[in-house]
Amino acid sequence: MSIVNDLIAASETLPRSGRISDERYDQKLKDHVTRLRQLLSNNELNHVAHDESLLDQFDPSKDSITYLFLLQLQIHNLRETTSETFPAALLPLGKLWSRSAHYLEIFNPVQVRYAGHEWRQLIELVVQAAQADSKPLLAARLVKGAMLRLDPSCAVFTSTHLLLVQLCLAAKAYTCALPVLEKPIYHIPILPSRSPFRSLQSLCAEYESSVAFVNDTTGLSSTLNSQDYLQYFLYGGMIYMALKKWDEALNYLGTAISMPTKGPISMVAVEAYKKFILVGLLDKGKTCSLPNSTATQVVKTLQSLVKPYLDLAKAFEQGDRIRLEAEIDAAQGIWSADKNTGLVFQVLNAFCKHSLVKIKKVVASLSVAELTAPISPFQGNLSGITESQIASLIMAGDLDATLAHSQLHSSSSILRFKAESLPLLFHENEAHADLQTQGKLMEGLFGSMEQANHRLGLSDEFIDNTVNRQQWPSAGGMKSEMGGATGLEMEEDIMGDLS
Amino acid sequence: MSSGRSSKPGQAKSRKTLGLFDPKTEDAPSGILGASLKPNPQVIGTPNFELETYISNYKGRSRFNRLFHIGTTSDVLAVDALKLAVAQALSETDVDQYLKAVQALARLAPKDPELAPNLGWVGKVRADMQAKTERLESELRGYKNNLIKESIRMGNEDLGNHFYATGDLPAASRAYWQMRDFCTTPTHVSSMYLKLINVSMDRNDWISTHAYVYRLRNALSKPEDMAKNTPRTVIALGLSQMHQGQYLEAANTFLSIDPTGVLEETFDEVISANDVAVYGGLCALASMTRDDLKRRVLDNKSFRNFLELEPHIRRAIKCFWEARYRPLLDILESYRVDYMLDVHLHKHIDTLYRQIRVKSIQQYLIPSSKTVLKDMIAIFSPELMGGEAKPFSLSSPFIVELIRLIENDLIDFRIDLVGGFLVRNQVDLRAQVQAEILQNVAEFNNAVRLRMLNMEIMDSPMAIEPVTAADRAYRRPNDPNLPDFQEGSNAYQGNPST
Repeated sequence: MSIVNDLIAASETLPRSGRISDERYDQKLKDHVTRLRQLLSNNELNHVAHDESLLDQFDPSKDSITYLFLLQLQIHNLRETTSETFPAALLPLGKLWSRSAHYLEIFNPVQVRYAGHEWRQLIELVVQAAQADSKPLLAARLVKGAMLRLDPSCAVFTSTHLLLVQLCLAAKAYTCALPVLEKPIYHIPILPSRSPFRSLQSLCAEYESSVAFVNDTTGLSSTLNSQDYLQYFLYGGMIYMALKKWDEALNYLGTAISMPTKGPISMVAVEAYKKFILVGLLDKGKTCSLPNSTATQVVKTLQSLVKPYLDLAKAFEQGDRIRLEAEIDAAQGIWSADKNTGLVFQVLNAFCKHSLVKIKKVVASLSVAELTAPISPFQGNLSGITESQIASLIMAGDLDATLAHSQLHSSSSILRFKAESLPLLFHENEAHADLQTQGKLMEGLFGSMEQANHRLGLSDEFIDNTVNRQQWPSAGGMKSEMGGATGLEMEEDIMGDLS
Repeated sequence: MSSGRSSKPGQAKSRKTLGLFDPKTEDAPSGILGASLKPNPQVIGTPNFELETYISNYKGRSRFNRLFHIGTTSDVLAVDALKLAVAQALSETDVDQYLKAVQALARLAPKDPELAPNLGWVGKVRADMQAKTERLESELRGYKNNLIKESIRMGNEDLGNHFYATGDLPAASRAYWQMRDFCTTPTHVSSMYLKLINVSMDRNDWISTHAYVYRLRNALSKPEDMAKNTPRTVIALGLSQMHQGQYLEAANTFLSIDPTGVLEETFDEVISANDVAVYGGLCALASMTRDDLKRRVLDNKSFRNFLELEPHIRRAIKCFWEARYRPLLDILESYRVDYMLDVHLHKHIDTLYRQIRVKSIQQYLIPSSKTVLKDMIAIFSPELMGGEAKPFSLSSPFIVELIRLIENDLIDFRIDLVGGFLVRNQVDLRAQVQAEILQNVAEFNNAVRLRMLNMEIMDSPMAIEPVTAADRAYRRPNDPNLPDFQEGSNAYQGNPST
C-alpha cells in the first residue's frame, strides 16, 4: 500500500498554487506522468486494480492525472477478468461509466495536456461503450462537454470533433453539436517538428491559441487524415441542414469542397458538392458560388461529376416549373442512391417560395386567381400552386404576406405582400456589437497570419528555396516581407549548418 | 526566304500596324447587296413625305440606296421608288445596282412590259467599264515603273474612283488604301481618308468609318482643309456611332455639327440636313436626361437651324421637357412609317422608340411615391382603356410591360393590382448599408480563415495525396452517420438497416 500512499501524497501537491513558475510546474507534472507510466508498465499497481474505493481517494478536479491513470487501470483489469470488450460496469449507468462520465465533466484541462493519450482513450472508450449500448446521446453530451472544457475555443481540429458529429448524427441530437460547430476551426494540429512552439515546452503555460498543445505528441488528437477532415465538415453541414440553418450548412460544405488537393478529388468532397448545390437552391434560390480558394480545376472536375444536380439547378434558376419537375422525376434513382431524396423534395417547395419572393419584388397585391392562372407574365411559373400552399408558406414565415377575402373580389382571395420590412428601430447597438466581434476576429486572424508567416519562413522548403535563390542572384532579390522578416536573418546559420 | 520577305518591309509593317484594312480578309457584305439577302420587314402605311420631294434631297449612291430600301420595304411606295431607282441606275455606271433594282421591280410587277431589263445597256456598260479598268491598271503599272509618287497616287485615286462608280466597293477601298504610301502633302492624306470614309459608309462598314474618322482627325492637315472636312467627318462619325448603338455619343456628335458648313454645302451623297435633325433629335431624346435635352438641344442655337427643318422633332422634345408624354408618343408614332423607310434609321427605330418610352415612364414616375395606374394607362396605353374590362389584370400588356421594367430594375416600384396603384419601394439606406457592411466583414473573415486553414493543410501531411487508399475505401457509408434526409421533417431518418 505504500505506493498508493505515495501517490496520494504526490497527488496532494499537484494542484497548482499561485506562485509556482510555468517551468517548474511543467517539470513536476512531467515527472508525475513519467512515474505513473512506469508504475503501470511494471505492473506495480496491479494489486489495487480491483479496489474501486481507491479512486475515491483522489479528486479528479484537482489531480486529473493520477485519477485518469487509475481509472484506466481499473477498466483494463475489468476487461481482462471478464474477457468482454464492454462489461456491464462500463456500459452507460454502470459503475465505471459513471466514474468516467463524472471525470469528463470536471477534469482539470491543464493537467490532462500531459496525459493526452489516456484522456483521448477514455473519450473513445466512452463513445464505444455508448454505441455498444445504442445510447449515443449520452456519449455525445459528455464528449461535447469535455471538448469545451479542454479547449473552450475549439479552434483546432481534432479526432474528437469527428467523433462528436458522428455521435450527434447517430443520436439525431443535432443541437447538441452546435456549441462546438459554432466555434470556427482555425487550425489543424501541426506536426511538432513544424510547430512554432517547439522551443517553449511548458505545456501548462497559458496560450492564446490551443494549437500549441493540441497535436500528435500530446495525444489529445489522434493522427488525422484528409478523410477525417472532409467527413467532419460534411457531417457538420448535414447537422446544420437538419436544423435548416442553411447559411452555416453552406459554409461547412464549402469548407469541405475547397480542401486543397494535390491531384484527385475525394468522393466526400463530391458528396458535399451535391448537397451544396441543393442547399444553395433551398436557401438562396440559385447555385451559390464556391469559396474563392477552391481551385478551378477542382471546380471543373466536380461539375463534371454532378451533372444531374446542375441540370436541376438550371431548371430552377430558369424558373421553369415543368422542367424542374421533369428533372426531379428523371433522376429519381440518382437522388435515392445519393440519399438526397428528401432534400430534392424540399427543392420543389423552395421553388414556389422563391418564385413568390420574386413576384413580391414586382407586385404589392393581386388576387390568387390571377397568380395561379395558367398564363402568367412572371418568370417562375406557378400554375400548380394552390391557395393552401401559399397559406402554408406564409405561416412558415417564408413569405411576408397576407391573404384576405374581400367583397369586391368575391371569387378569389387577395394576396397582399407586405412592403419591404422597415425595421422601426434598427438595432444600431446590435450592429455595433456585431462589428466589434468581427473586428476582434479579424485581429485574431491577422495575429495567426503573422504566426503562420513566421512558421513558414522557418520551414525547410522556404529555406531551401531561399538558398537556391542566393545561388542565382539574377533570379531577383528576396524582397517579400516574409523573406525580410525571417529567412534572411537566419541565412548565415543555415549556410553553416548545410556546409 | 528572309531576303524575299524583307524586300518590302515597309509595306508589310505598315499594313500590320495600321490593321484597318486588309484587302485579303476584308469580305464584309457590301452595303445594300448584303442587306438584300435578308429581306427587310414589310412596312405598312403611308409616310408623311412625298417621295419625289424626299428623294430630291439626295444624289448618287445614297439616292439609289434610299430608293431601293423604300422599294423593298414599303407597301405603298414600292413600285414608284423602284422605278426611280432604275432610272437612277441607268444614269450611272453600276450594272449590279441596276440589275438589283430591275429584279426587285420584276418581283413586284412582273407583267409590266416597260420594265424589261435593258440588256443592251448592261452589256455596253460592262464592256466599257472593263476596258476602262484595264486602261487604268496599265497606266498605274506604268507610273509604278517610273516611280513618280504623285502619278502613282493619282493613278490609284483614278482607279478607286472608277471602281466606286462601277459599284465594286471593296476594290475601291483597296485602291484608295494603296494611295497612302504615295501621299506627299497633308491635303493628299485628308482627301484619301475622306474617300475611304465615303466608301466604308456605302459598304455599311461603320467600324472602319469610325477608325478612318479618327485617323483623319489625327492626321496633320491645314486649318482650311480641316474646316472644310469637319462637317463631313462629324456626320460620318455620328452615323457610325448611331449604327453601333452608341446613341448618346451619336447625339452629342450630331449636336456638335456646325450648321453653316452643312447648310451651305449639302452632303446629299450621304444625308440631308433634315436627317441630321431627325437622327440627332431622336438619339438625344432616347439617351439624354431631361435637363440635358433642354440645355443642349432645345436651347442649342446652332442645332435649332436643323430642328427648324423638322419641327415635329422639336415639338416632341419639347413635349418631353414639358412632361406631356401622350403627345410625345403620338408624334413619334405618327412618324414611325417615315423612319422605318429611312435607310439608316430603320434598324434602330424600335430600340430608340422603346428607350424613349421607358424614359418617359421613368420621368413620369419621378415625382410620385404612389401613382394611380388608371392615369398611367391613359397616357401610355390609351388603347387599353376602352374595351378592356379589367385594365389592371395581369394579362394587360401595359401591366406586363411594367413588370418587365421592374424586373430589369428600370423603375423602383411595385404594382398594387388590387387597388390599381404603383407604389414606390421604401428603403432604409442606413440599415441596408450597415447590414451590407456586416455581411462583407463576415465574408472576408471567413475567406481569410479558410485560406489559412487550407494553407495549414497543404503544409501538413493531410492534403489529399495523388492516390489515397482511404479514398478508395470510402463508400457511401451504410451506417447511421449518413442517414437520408426525409421530406418535411427536421430530423434525419436513420437507415433502417442499422
